Amino acid sequence: MNNVIEIKGLTKIYNSSEIKVKAVDGIDINFKEGEFTAVVGPSGSGKTTFLNMLGGLDRPTEGEVIIGGVDVWKLSSRKLIDFRMNNIGFVFQSYNLIPVLTAGENVEFIMQLQGRPKKEREVRTKELLEAVGIGDRIKSRPSKLSGGQQQRVAVARALASKPEFILADEPTANLDSAATVGLLELMSQMNKKFNTTFIFATHDQRVMDKARRIVTIEDGKILKDEYFERE
Amino acid sequence: MFKYIKIAWRNLWRNTRRTLITSASVFFGVFFAIFMTSLQKGSFENMIGNMARFYSGYIQIQESEFKESPGVNHSFEMSAKLREAIDNNPNITSSTNRVETFALASNKEKSFPAFILGINPEQEDEKSGLSKHIVGGEYFKSGSKDLLVGKILAENLNLKVGDSLILLGQGFHGVTAVGIYKVAGLLDFPLPDLSKQIVYMDLLNCQEFASLQNRITSNVIIVDKTDVINNVIASLQPLRGDDIKIYSWQDLMPELLNLIEGKEASSAMIKSLLFMIIGFGILATIMMLMHERKRELGVMIAIGFQKSKLLLMMLTESAFIGIIGVLSSLVVSYPLMYYLYKNPIIVIGEMAETYKSMGFEPKISFSISPQIFYNPAITVLIIFMLISLYQIYYIAKLKVVDSLKG
Repeated sequence: MNNVIEIKGLTKIYNSSEIKVKAVDGIDINFKEGEFTAVVGPSGSGKTTFLNMLGGLDRPTEGEVIIGGVDVWKLSSRKLIDFRMNNIGFVFQSYNLIPVLTAGENVEFIMQLQGRPKKEREVRTKELLEAVGIGDRIKSRPSKLSGGQQQRVAVARALASKPEFILADEPTANLDSAATVGLLELMSQMNKKFNTTFIFATHDQRVMDKARRIVTIEDGKILKDEYFERE
Repeated sequence: MFKYIKIAWRNLWRNTRRTLITSASVFFGVFFAIFMTSLQKGSFENMIGNMARFYSGYIQIQESEFKESPGVNHSFEMSAKLREAIDNNPNITSSTNRVETFALASNKEKSFPAFILGINPEQEDEKSGLSKHIVGGEYFKSGSKDLLVGKILAENLNLKVGDSLILLGQGFHGVTAVGIYKVAGLLDFPLPDLSKQIVYMDLLNCQEFASLQNRITSNVIIVDKTDVINNVIASLQPLRGDDIKIYSWQDLMPELLNLIEGKEASSAMIKSLLFMIIGFGILATIMMLMHERKRELGVMIAIGFQKSKLLLMMLTESAFIGIIGVLSSLVVSYPLMYYLYKNPIIVIGEMAETYKSMGFEPKISFSISPQIFYNPAITVLIIFMLISLYQIYYIAKLKVVDSLKG
């Protein structure tokens, strides 16, 4: 399988007034197409910072993030936003749907930004919402959906742009057990169905139990990088 | 484009109460500014109209030195071309010739200085309603040899209607002007100074008295709207000779112009203060809604919304607040101002007497000039443009990672 993401010497140093904090310390790692990876580690280990740099949200102090052959941090701000839109899907801990748009509109929105034709957008929105199990809530606003349902919409939105990979930062942190299990099952299915690469930052053992690769980070460095066979 | 408008419109109603309160502040600000300006402009128009109709006209044609040195020696003969141009100008509703001079008015052993005004009785009555000021005797007609005398002057001279008055003055080129005339009527004006010295004569009679033949000292022009004054003057300028000057009411009544400009300046300060308060209110709302949505804005940028488009959406949203406020204000204020324009408030009691004593009709007038309505709208637009600078700065400086932290 091809490398979707190549990371070389990724470093992030936060300069506070008196001390320098190395949140990510020279990480080298690759992610292959279709991987289902959990990035784990204690709070403050640097996993969210690592994910933000990987997703083109936070500029590294040093190092390269190469996605599909493009060194993303060499792109202009404008091109980087377009790059994220076309190549990276995001699932956030707090769902972060646009509250004034319905579930369907939230999913369709990113395709509108991509300039896809209306008919295609409508068909794909319907397909995705049905795939995540809430096809009947297409016209509901986020405020009318449960946390689990909102996170399902967020997954559908992340998949809508047909990204190279999806970054999910603590996606189950605000969900109850039943919703967590359902969401993990769903993402696992999506991973298999669309062969989309998933990378999670998580503390959740249930996520780790589903992951086929677990990267453990501590003090900004990779401590372990393990692969598992899963059903 | 439509999707930004749709999101902006829906965002507007996420906090209905806040949107309505902010729009209401714009509504009341614009409404108050319109009401205040309409009232002030209406009063000024009424004041100018009174003065123009009664005395100066909106435009006046004089011999070039008459303004500095009034007297029959600075009289002139109106050329046929200028006369024709005045008669054919569609904006001129009336024009009348006058002779102004001074004389000593005597009755028996009493003498007082008098301001003699030779007029066309019918035209002058139509223009200023002069006959309404008759308090004794009757108004005169063209060709009459009689006089109308100010009430206080008549009292000072012990004159009654039907008595004779001797006028002694200086005519054209120093010729002695003298005559004895019958008093046809007495006039009372709100301005005591006028009643104390005015004597009206028929124009031909006055020209004869001052040996002027066809000469006049001024031609007084009334136009249909004050905003055409400059155009009318410009159309007449090429036709006047070098010895003639054409003045607007502003040239002839600089004190009134200064008074108006002074009041307009103080009103502009009040309005500026009002809009400043409204502006800070709007700024507070915009700052609050930007801050509240920091995380949401960050998410939108993270998933691929360009900052420029995000800004466009936010500007559309704040523009909606302004548009709602301004449009609702115009919808309410225009019919109200139009009604008050058509039906001025009639002042009664002591206030009415004060108005009359100042020479004005006892009514509170309103104006419906277009700028009364579009000036506050433009001001609100400028306020929103200034506030948009904050939005531009906020979005330009927005860091996705920081905003995702909330």
